[in-house]
Amino acid sequence: MAKSIGNALIVGGGVAGMQAALDIAAQGFGVCIVERSPSIGGRMAMIDKTFPTLDCSACILTPKLSEVLRHPNITILTNSEVGSVSGKAGDYKVRILKKARYVDEEKCSGCGDCATECPVEVPSEFDQGLGFRKAIYVPFPQATPNVYTVDMDNCIMCNRCVKVCEREAIDLEMVDEIVEFDAGAIIVATGAQLFDVSAYPRLGYSLYDNVINAMEFERLVNAAGPTGGHLIRLSDGKVPMSIGFIQCVGARDVQKGVPYCSRICCMYSIKNAVMAMEHNPDAKVWVYYADIRAFGKGFEEFYEMAKARFGVRFLRGRVAEVMQGTHSGNLVVKVEDTETSEIRLIEHEMVIVSPGMIPPEGMSKLARKLGLPMTDDGYIKIEHSFFGPVATKDPGVFVCGMADGPKDIPDSVSAGSAAAMKATIILAKGEE
Amino acid sequence: MTQTDDPRIGVFVCHCGHNIAGVVDVEAVAKMAESLPNVVFSCDEMFMCSDAGQQLIRDKIEEHNLNRVVVASCSPRMHEPTFRRVVEEAGVNRYLFDQVNLREHVSWCHTRQPEAATEKAKDLVKMSVARARVLEDLPIKTVKVLATTLVVGGGIAGLRAALDIGDRGFDVLLVEKESELGGHVAKWTHLFPADESGAEVIKPLIKDVKAHKRITTLTNSKVIEFDGYIGNFEVTVENLKTEKKQKFDIGTVIVATGFIPFRPYGYFAYGESPDIVTLAELQELAPSDQLLKPSDGTPVKKIAFIGCVGSREPGVKGHEHCSRHCCAATAKAAADLREKIEEVLILYQDIRTYGKGHEEFYRLARRRHVIFSKFPRDAKPVVTVKNSEVHMSWRDVLADRELTFQPDLLVLATAMIPPEDIAETAKMFSLTRSGDGFFNPEHIKLAPLTTHTAGVMIAGASQAAKNASESVIDASGAAAKAVGLMAKGEVEIESTVSHVLSELCSSCHTCITVCPYGAINMDETVDPPVAFVTEAKCRGCGTCASACPSSAIIMYHSTDNQIMTMVEAYLCSPAQLEGGEPQ
Repeated sequence: MAKSIGNALIVGGGVAGMQAALDIAAQGFGVCIVERSPSIGGRMAMIDKTFPTLDCSACILTPKLSEVLRHPNITILTNSEVGSVSGKAGDYKVRILKKARYVDEEKCSGCGDCATECPVEVPSEFDQGLGFRKAIYVPFPQATPNVYTVDMDNCIMCNRCVKVCEREAIDLEMVDEIVEFDAGAIIVATGAQLFDVSAYPRLGYSLYDNVINAMEFERLVNAAGPTGGHLIRLSDGKVPMSIGFIQCVGARDVQKGVPYCSRICCMYSIKNAVMAMEHNPDAKVWVYYADIRAFGKGFEEFYEMAKARFGVRFLRGRVAEVMQGTHSGNLVVKVEDTETSEIRLIEHEMVIVSPGMIPPEGMSKLARKLGLPMTDDGYIKIEHSFFGPVATKDPGVFVCGMADGPKDIPDSVSAGSAAAMKATIILAKGEE
Repeated sequence: MTQTDDPRIGVFVCHCGHNIAGVVDVEAVAKMAESLPNVVFSCDEMFMCSDAGQQLIRDKIEEHNLNRVVVASCSPRMHEPTFRRVVEEAGVNRYLFDQVNLREHVSWCHTRQPEAATEKAKDLVKMSVARARVLEDLPIKTVKVLATTLVVGGGIAGLRAALDIGDRGFDVLLVEKESELGGHVAKWTHLFPADESGAEVIKPLIKDVKAHKRITTLTNSKVIEFDGYIGNFEVTVENLKTEKKQKFDIGTVIVATGFIPFRPYGYFAYGESPDIVTLAELQELAPSDQLLKPSDGTPVKKIAFIGCVGSREPGVKGHEHCSRHCCAATAKAAADLREKIEEVLILYQDIRTYGKGHEEFYRLARRRHVIFSKFPRDAKPVVTVKNSEVHMSWRDVLADRELTFQPDLLVLATAMIPPEDIAETAKMFSLTRSGDGFFNPEHIKLAPLTTHTAGVMIAGASQAAKNASESVIDASGAAAKAVGLMAKGEVEIESTVSHVLSELCSSCHTCITVCPYGAINMDETVDPPVAFVTEAKCRGCGTCASACPSSAIIMYHSTDNQIMTMVEAYLCSPAQLEGGEPQ
């Protein structure tokens, strides 16, 4: 791989990491993105529409995906994780574990013949387990790189894909590799994950079929999702005429170890509520909230529009319980309307629980490898809110996106650019 | 301009998942296209923008020796650059690509009329193919980028941006209209979420900026003229004291002109008593052990805050937005003050302590028995001043009860609004503004720091209400954008520009008057003088070409012929175009 000075390593290929990579590469430095999943794109690729403009998420993300892929200064290592890191600012030695994908990235053209042939169907992680994929798959149509991956846990070694592949790209004997990379600076852009809302049994998630989480809702209304974009109940195919969104689940809750605000859930739920109305203008849509935090550019205006133009109903109160009726599969939300002090029982045909964000799996392990301190909440600790909002204790390691705490897309992108700026100051010093 | 060989056109119709194919019969559209003159290949595909779709275009260009490509998919706003790049990689000039918008212009707006939508899609594709036949290839041009950034505004964002660019090895011209650097932050005694005062945060930045050999600082100064184009701007800066003017050549610009705190005359008796102040004014009070009443200097024993003053007012222009910083700033100030003040009350609509450490302030304030009371949005608290005492009454939503309070000091957490001269700044740098009055970024989601004026970035509260920490992040990000342009040293510019045929120009100046970008000037070196276009400034809007009474202006890539051909393709059958009878 390229020479040591003038290269940056980016851990995580979501929208923040991609932005950082592009801004570093634009200055002529080399960048290596290490991404754990088979494709870059992160959470944003899974989202249907974005607030506050209702832009289609995939549509605005794909130009960035191709830009990253095509950039001559950017190397993408998918299915890969940081193994070990040594050295110091300006001169890090990184060992990257590149897991076998059983498909030769150079040979695969992404034609999909293998997946057509593959007899094994398993729930698709990208579709939140609501749709299916084959044991050899790309996670989503715009996956970058557009290279298939064999999921060895589910592969039955029937070799049908190997035979059908005209380019002879599939090698089921492939083994994991260690890639060594010399970097002058490192950017942590690992993102975050959704809180597991089944930790609140009273809200019925994982107990009742028609209680789903917000990311499942995103896939359900997405044209490329498991229902082709039809908002229906997966339990019985019924179009839900009454939908409730429950806020602050796994956020602002000291008892559950998530005392902080997750910052995005209010807005994504208002957006989801609007999407529900767009899919079915006759539906009745409720949002149960504690405070509506519409703080970003254009957010408050979007919240007003959801109320005034779409007629989304907002009820201030933490939901006590979601109960299921015996026959219809319908649900009853029990909640105190804190503005009227009334206890209400409201029937819904579908309930969406809006999870907060928590640090991604493996965050503490990565922090240990990089020698970085963490916050009590389990995110990477930033150096200082004003003097180093994207800096860490290590002067050559920076952080952006959700790796230091929940952020929406524009804030993640902005932080990605900021981390790139700081990294290039170090890379340029090495060049002198 | 070169006329390419016989057109060999490929048409690619995109499903965009169900976005288009759910309404438009894409197969039928692709099938129809096959029959159009010069079309040698036509197909439909799930996602043209995906890697597979892009590869398909490249493969078919090679296979069929295509020299024109039409993609019928979404708005060119997002993916025209993608497809232009794809055809270029396959050896076709980017200006021989044409995109039809079947999504925003067809499937999304005619959801309930699939048949009519399909017909419209066919018409649009016909028109695009006709246009493709007469497209001409255009050169790819670049301009150099000078290695100096102009930073407008010496607040926390401007200082940070200047330092980052200087540290990266590029020159900075920092222009601040006040006599001191530091902006609002310098004046504030509490700054959340850190425990430092604003001065402690700002002083080291100012010191570093002043000592930096790559940063030139001009205080008491204002940009009064701004001309040129990306990479090559000419700036005139005037010293407001001495009225001395200086000219500078610069490559990139960061506008960090910040905000002003709203002074809420007409709200909650502001101005009627010295004991009613804004949050910004409270933050600027000299630090002392005991907060004193401005009116009589006695210690404050009861204090109240009212949130969302001049923010979140639907229908009130420039005040509809949330000002983002105030909830956490109020919670922090209240928690701090509660240690010395017996009663601290906060009236709010929603508590928006969203950021890192903010929720902790809110919790801390509650733990210290700061009283939070929610008021209804349609019945705001009433504040009156009687015998120099401040009286408040409001309805507490949660207790459903009318309440009253008599604070010694009332603090209004007012909106962040743009500075008075923002319209002037916007005009100077050709920036647009959104409903909140602040500058519009290039894209609200994915390009929050760049603008529609190439080479001009925005950072900090000039883009939207935000707190100091967020402004610092923006500033470094905007610096990265500027450095990205300067490190490369050159940038590509569009060839879709207008061009004056000097022999036809009658020197009437009409084009100069109508050009919104100041891209046209008179060439006085010839007699009679004729108009000429500075291509790097031209945005290709075509206004000049349509206004020119002598038809002396060509708009490349939208020539009269190219437009008329589309109109003919829509109105006439192919047979008619060949001179035959209508079908």
